[in-house]
Amino acid sequence: MQDIQTLVALTGWLLKATLMMSTPLVLAALGGLFSEKTGIVNIGLEGMMLIGAFSAVAATYFTDNPWLGVLAAVIAGGMLASIHAIVCVKYKGNQIVSGAGIILFAGGFTTLMLEVVWGVKGVSDSVTRLPNVVIEPISDIPILGVALGAQSPLVYIMLILVVVSWFVIYKTPFGLRIQAAGEDPSALDAAGVSVSSVRMIGVVLSGCLSGLGGAYLAISYASEFGKMMTVGRGFIALAALIFGNWTPFGCLIAGALFGFLDGLQFAISILPEFSFMLEYVNFIKMIPYVLVIVALAGIRKSVPPKAIGTPYEKEARG
Amino acid sequence: MSGEYIEDSAVDVSHTHEEKSSAFQKLVIVFNKVKHRLPSRDYWKPLFWSLGSIILALLVSAIMMTVMGYDAIMAFDYLIRGALDQPDRVLQYATPLILTGLSVALAFRCGLFNIGPEGQLLIGSMAAAILGYVVALPFLVHPLVCIGVAALAGGLWGFLPGLLRAYRGAHEVVTTMMLSYVAINFTQYLAGGPLKEQGEYAWISQTTRILDTSELAKIFGPYLHWGFAVAIVCVIGIDFLLKRTVLGYEMKAVGLNEEAAEYAGINSKRSMALALGISGALAGIGGAGEILGTHHRFLDGWSGGLGWDGITVAVLGNNSPWGVLGAAIFFGALRAGGNRMHQFAHVPIEIVGLIQGLVVIFVAAPRIIDWLGRQTIDSASWIKREPREGLPGIAVLVFNLFGLFLGIGISASLFATNPILGVMFSMVGIVSGLVSYRILSRQETALSLSIIPAIAWVDAMVLDILIGEAMFFNMGMVMVIVGLILSVVLWMMQALTVQPDGGEV
Repeated sequence: MQDIQTLVALTGWLLKATLMMSTPLVLAALGGLFSEKTGIVNIGLEGMMLIGAFSAVAATYFTDNPWLGVLAAVIAGGMLASIHAIVCVKYKGNQIVSGAGIILFAGGFTTLMLEVVWGVKGVSDSVTRLPNVVIEPISDIPILGVALGAQSPLVYIMLILVVVSWFVIYKTPFGLRIQAAGEDPSALDAAGVSVSSVRMIGVVLSGCLSGLGGAYLAISYASEFGKMMTVGRGFIALAALIFGNWTPFGCLIAGALFGFLDGLQFAISILPEFSFMLEYVNFIKMIPYVLVIVALAGIRKSVPPKAIGTPYEKEARG
Repeated sequence: MSGEYIEDSAVDVSHTHEEKSSAFQKLVIVFNKVKHRLPSRDYWKPLFWSLGSIILALLVSAIMMTVMGYDAIMAFDYLIRGALDQPDRVLQYATPLILTGLSVALAFRCGLFNIGPEGQLLIGSMAAAILGYVVALPFLVHPLVCIGVAALAGGLWGFLPGLLRAYRGAHEVVTTMMLSYVAINFTQYLAGGPLKEQGEYAWISQTTRILDTSELAKIFGPYLHWGFAVAIVCVIGIDFLLKRTVLGYEMKAVGLNEEAAEYAGINSKRSMALALGISGALAGIGGAGEILGTHHRFLDGWSGGLGWDGITVAVLGNNSPWGVLGAAIFFGALRAGGNRMHQFAHVPIEIVGLIQGLVVIFVAAPRIIDWLGRQTIDSASWIKREPREGLPGIAVLVFNLFGLFLGIGISASLFATNPILGVMFSMVGIVSGLVSYRILSRQETALSLSIIPAIAWVDAMVLDILIGEAMFFNMGMVMVIVGLILSVVLWMMQALTVQPDGGEV
């Protein structure tokens, strides 16, 4: 009896941790989806998350309203992404180089601002967190109650956004344009739609969503900004996007899987039941990366948008 | 007979005449030959792009520093002096960057984007660190063996994604990045687990110190080790590989057009796998050099992103071996000078990362630099064509750009104590910026627009006296007077020149 109770409690707890850890990954992966569906590679997700996390904490610190922090994160992420969009779409620059530049810039900028605003090197002051949403009716159900009963509002927003993204991309005219920009931009151009503006919107959306992911990390999961606090989550989000085969629900499932591994590490570090794995925590961290390599190497054919990574030139007809 | 003689002498005379006068002509011919040998204008374009990006990045970072309330001029002063004072430090910082930069550059020449030199570097450095204390070998042989094995280990880490790309079509951008993280976690595990040094410092994740025999000696100064010479050899080697060998030629062909290379009978799969393998080996050598020359043991997290910086270096160096060398030394200088700047100007060292990021963003889009270059040339020809409007235009531009800096700078220093005044001064700055933008887009009507910033300055002065401490009164008055004089004089000049034209029409 005791064992079963522990098992139920642990399962619920692990589910909750999975949801918590996968939220930033799924949000950033959805961001990457919007950018890559329009044909612009965005490896700068990491930088956009970072700047979102910083803006969220800074805005909350000055206004004491975490929701304004969320808004600031979305705007800041979008603004950084618009630099990427201008370089890649307007000036037809190299998308991977620009993305790498975005990451470097965001890392330098946020650490610099950390020192300017709080005068510290590592971690900012604590700010108000986003209050958790408690859903009364389900909070008594054993496993589900623990997992979904009281979570950050951004977790629910993430789940909603997955559905919304699926609907927007596959069921609306705008979504068809997004897909066309990534698959066959000259057809889109022939239909009289500006490829540049569709791509611009896609990239800026990706920044907004990544910024939201960063905000979750900063003012919902934690309550402060730390130097380089995303620790590679942007890259894992990119991996989730590829592993999820460039679809919204794929992103959710892959993000949940990687989030589960993340949650497991968390469990290992605090729960005595898991402490025997402490020595091998590095190997658990490796799993997402290895999975992606294995997936790319052949278990399943992943299909990126056809025109991905190539700037669209009106003159050049294929 | 005599006729022949005359003819001969005539020929002789003309000959000697030609030889005498040709001293100058020869020079011209030699000059023409040199000029002919020099690469064409297109060859220099990447250099122009790189330098333009650096200048633009420095400018933007200067503006950002000013906005954040730091003294940008003093900071750059210390940055430059710090870099010039300590060449050994600069070259020491540059050494691993040369190798990781070469790694990215070589792969790029074969059309592949290796963004995982960080992992290859870590794996290579771990191999060198283990061999450094496990085996006992004589001097000179020991470091070479360590470097060789590091190259093999790093090469393997690059060869694997190469194979996957060539035979399974797995995109190397993703696989190299993912393998990087695998390497980071794997070396972290080794340094914190099985290979951890026991004893006094057991709380630090690090391996045992390498033996004295495997250390790389210093060339000069307290920092610069022989790893730099290894890096230079690699630069020459890769240059040779790309320019003078069949393998290098095939790699470049695959990089330019994979299908065409296949039709020409090149085994593109082999070229790609080998290119990534060599690329990984280079990064591995970079890691080994740092372990054997600087750190002397594998300390968890020692690299601090040297591999990622390799991407920056390769991009700035336009993927050519000698360009990479120059770019790496530039970044080394930035880092060495950055330390000095941090120490004396109290500007956070992170500004270096910011500058690097900006450089990369600008290099990514050479069209931005091209546009600015064209803009400058156009402006110059505008001034030449119509000096009466062009020259005052420059004066107005300088005035307004100065106003922009001044307004933003004052606003940044005031924001903490008096936000309303801060906003006011930043508005003044923005107005000046807008006017200078009009001038930059060569709107002739913009010449007399200086009156607007002048009025803005008057407003700001009034506000400063009312709610501030009138600290910037003198400076503001100067700006007001200069702005008024400029706009009045230019308006009169325009009125004088336009009228006769209007009469004719």
